[in-house]
Amino acid sequence: MSIAAETSLAVIRGELEAVAAYVSASGLELDCAGLCSENLRFVVKFLNAGDVAFHVEFECVDYPLYPPVVEFVNAGRTQRGLRNLYPQGFHTSPCICMRYNRKAYAERGGPHGDWRLLDWRLPSGNGVGIDSLALMVSDLHSKIRHSNGTMA
Amino acid sequence: MNDSTDNSSIRTEEHPHPPRLLYIRIQTPRGLWSLDEPKDASKRPEYPPSTKIEQVIIDVRSVFGFVEQDSKYTLLRGGEILDPGRTLASYQIKDGTLLVLSVQGGNA
Repeated sequence: MSIAAETSLAVIRGELEAVAAYVSASGLELDCAGLCSENLRFVVKFLNAGDVAFHVEFECVDYPLYPPVVEFVNAGRTQRGLRNLYPQGFHTSPCICMRYNRKAYAERGGPHGDWRLLDWRLPSGNGVGIDSLALMVSDLHSKIRHSNGTMA
Repeated sequence: MNDSTDNSSIRTEEHPHPPRLLYIRIQTPRGLWSLDEPKDASKRPEYPPSTKIEQVIIDVRSVFGFVEQDSKYTLLRGGEILDPGRTLASYQIKDGTLLVLSVQGGNA
């Protein structure tokens, strides 16, 4: 099962309005310049407690049927998923171990065989269900801003 | 005939003013809380300067339906994390200041 790229693009563009408002108010940076139906990606730059920059890429193929692949990348986007690109406090596999990250699911090589991709909007425990791109950005904003240093 | 008014019996009454209210704006992942957004908000972000940050967090959560207790809610000004136990005045927050509510959904 999949979604036409044009459909995903329309949904992403709609949600990016809320992302842009949140990012602007928070002093973060949003780069969606290359976003198109052939490239359903955007990047947000966060700062940790020591004002060290971290870049997170959201690759949104089949969004919103399935969650994006959310991964830390370097500023030039030539490296991804390395421990030295992660802030402290994240799953050391390394992985953003949340239902909104497709990488966390066992079917994508992640640790969670107990999660179903179609249920990606469900909350963790009794927390807020992270069911939009703006909430994903806010969740990461909170975690990164409260962290110090890098994982490696 | 003396037309002048005798004011000697008029005295100044105590005339306490209500505390001046600060209005702030708060951006959340579900939208902006301001004096006119969202349209159907049950309350508006106007506070005495002595209001604690924790009360503002409670209010903005209620406006946007962030009812879940197991999430972490933080109010920020730019990159500065605001201490819930401190007051708006202690941060010298002024009218129109834009704050941010970050919502953390669970463990990473």
